Amino acid sequence: MTRYLTQRLLLTIPVLFLVSIIVFTLINLIPGDPALLMAGGEAGQDVVEALRKQMGLDRPLVVRYAIWLGRVVRGDLGKSVRDGRPVLDVLRLKLPVTIQLAAISLLVSWCIAIPAGIVAAWKRRSVVDYTATTVALAGVSIPNFWLGIMLLYLFAVNLRWLPPSGYVEPWVNPIRSLERMVLPATVLGTALAALVMRLLRSSMLEVLGTEYVRTAQAKGLADRRVITRHALRNALIPVVTVMGLQLGGLLGGAVITETIFAVPGIGQLAVQSILTRDYPMVQGVVLFSAVAIVFVNLSVDIIYSLLDPRIRLVEARS
Amino acid sequence: MRRAFLAVAVLVVLLAGLASAQTPRRGGILRAGLDADPPNMDPHQSIAAVDRQVFQNRYDKLVDVNQNLEIVPMLATSWTISNNGRTYTFRLRPNVVFHDGTPFNAEAVRYNFERMLDRSFASPRRSEILLVEKVTVVDPQTVQIDLEKPFSPFLSVLSDRAGMMVSPTAARRLGRDFAREPVGTGPYRFVEKRPQERIVLERFDRHWDRSAGYVDRILYRPFADEQSRLANLLAGELDIINIPPATEVPNLKKDARVKMLEREGLGWQGVWLMVNGTPFNNRALRQALNASIDRRTLARVVFGEVVTPANGPFPPGLLGHDSGPNNRIPERNLDLARAKLREGGQPNGFSFTLKIVPGRQEQQVGQIIQSMAGEVGIRVNLEIVEFGTMLSQISPPNHRFEAARLGWSGRPDPDGNIYGFFVTGGGLNNSNYSNPRLDSLLDAARILTTADLRRRAYADIMNILNEDLPYMFLWWPKDYKPMSPKLQGFVHVSDGMMRFRNVWLNP
Repeated sequence: MTRYLTQRLLLTIPVLFLVSIIVFTLINLIPGDPALLMAGGEAGQDVVEALRKQMGLDRPLVVRYAIWLGRVVRGDLGKSVRDGRPVLDVLRLKLPVTIQLAAISLLVSWCIAIPAGIVAAWKRRSVVDYTATTVALAGVSIPNFWLGIMLLYLFAVNLRWLPPSGYVEPWVNPIRSLERMVLPATVLGTALAALVMRLLRSSMLEVLGTEYVRTAQAKGLADRRVITRHALRNALIPVVTVMGLQLGGLLGGAVITETIFAVPGIGQLAVQSILTRDYPMVQGVVLFSAVAIVFVNLSVDIIYSLLDPRIRLVEARS
Repeated sequence: MRRAFLAVAVLVVLLAGLASAQTPRRGGILRAGLDADPPNMDPHQSIAAVDRQVFQNRYDKLVDVNQNLEIVPMLATSWTISNNGRTYTFRLRPNVVFHDGTPFNAEAVRYNFERMLDRSFASPRRSEILLVEKVTVVDPQTVQIDLEKPFSPFLSVLSDRAGMMVSPTAARRLGRDFAREPVGTGPYRFVEKRPQERIVLERFDRHWDRSAGYVDRILYRPFADEQSRLANLLAGELDIINIPPATEVPNLKKDARVKMLEREGLGWQGVWLMVNGTPFNNRALRQALNASIDRRTLARVVFGEVVTPANGPFPPGLLGHDSGPNNRIPERNLDLARAKLREGGQPNGFSFTLKIVPGRQEQQVGQIIQSMAGEVGIRVNLEIVEFGTMLSQISPPNHRFEAARLGWSGRPDPDGNIYGFFVTGGGLNNSNYSNPRLDSLLDAARILTTADLRRRAYADIMNILNEDLPYMFLWWPKDYKPMSPKLQGFVHVSDGMMRFRNVWLNP
């Protein structure tokens, strides 16, 4: 297990290296000059040139990449071109927000999807199944921005039950922190739940048809025990894969939802940085997302082995 | 007698009530919703318009503008202009200190100009004050600024970012990092800024105007989504917002939950026509396109009542508005358009690509121009380009476009609305237009000191511009400030800046 983990962690290094090259190239391919965006149209050519020099943009791409990489290895992700703030400081500020929102959204999604998926499979072709399917379809189809604005007006403007926006650190005030997460997490959670629910339903149906389930039923085990002990555990494997992908996506930032509810997370940071051609910041954000996805995948692999002891984590042998 | 007594008593009570409603209250946190996250907190590095909202309350400027766009004292209590408009002598307010305790004096003013003009510092302000030749400290309370040549918009320039004075101590120590620990003399001092989250200011107790700064703190929060910005105001999470959604303006005017202030804005909007490449190097074709557009319909259909149709760079309220054809909105004239097409050698029309930035209204504008021009056979291809990309494509020296939909936020002096855009080689001259006669008129308008003479110069300028059409002016946006009825004392100036030094919050 330890050897396996070490190997997987070492493998992330070339992955991140590759990601950084791709990102570096791509962002420099986008038309638009960060110096011009910073100086504004009014500034003279000399001001724009001076800024380009200060930002190091007058050097060739390869040289810029080498400089950047050299700094990253030493733990320095560079500074924002907007106001010179260290990229790492900003990421540190956004990280708790994004992790908290991702965690609560997943929780919302599971609370809806897992019971709904199980019941829909167990009571296949019943009213419950059809209702769950319809709701799931709606969940996938409704765009986040629409649901977001609707919930915002209903619960924050008209009923005034919940605050409309913002972020409070949970260690400052856990209740107020949670209040502000309810709406965005609901918007994100419902969209995620739909997919998980459908997947769990079909996976459950498959497992429920297997012989060992029939054996369990024949032994006279209670339905509840058959489902939770025998069926669900086995049905969860494909579902966990999707959940992992969803978590990875959430950690990369939920741009639209964050914008509507003014949640200061990674998503808004990414968009702002791209729009202002804040190269160091974009690279920092993407690097973080890549790291997050690598680690989520690793966790998913570990969870597999916990769910199904037949799956072993073996290091590759050459 | 008794009735009279009662009447007097009622009157007294009423007046007392009125007075209490009008008496400023101290305390509270003012929460303002911005349309974007201000990127940079140093007025000498700032380029984003939204930065200026926060600056208004954290910095003092040498001078300010009032509601009539007249120059009024701020850090300078008085000034004289001599030497044919080339020498400005400012008498500075005594006993002013920066938030870090550094005294504000003539030496500080000299340092600020030095900083903005420093080539290696690359300040966007440099081009605004390029004519400054020398800054002399006459005595601690008097500073003299000599210009290379007369420049009548100079005071107006000093009422904006170029006139905002930063602490020399802090600026010397921090260099460009001053943007993260800004120090001014304003009634509010900087507490913290979290990107895309909030900016917090706190009352500065040693501010020279003892009565300024009623609220204890100001909290700015950025809301990139306009619907969400408005919802936060309606939900009571904000006290005032910048730029409401245009489509909601008619409803907001009737909504009892908000107090809605409206003023003519300072900016202009329309379409750049690149005069140095096909097809628009042909003036007749520019005129043909112009004649095919119905400005009134365009403005009404897309924006409703929130804009005014335009035919020049000077919106209502700005000096020059009544200059020549600036406010004479042309009627749509399809016969003229066809005649101009024939004159331009394209009787069957021509085609061009119009670049627009993303957004629902931008697309509507593009489509309406497309259909109006299409009626005389001018085929318009719409190309949606992200803002940063658009800016770099159309700006000098690139000029990589045929037509582009981009406007200007506006300045309180007409010069700031026209000079750099149309003077030969100007930094904002996107269409690469050059006309020596217009250049000399633009320069003349900068030298002339009376409003009447400047108005006349701008009339000549507009006659040429609207004949040459390097830019098709289409509409002037109005400025709206929706706020909670609790917010009192807000003075709405056309520049759209939220000046909070004299506002207070009723319970």
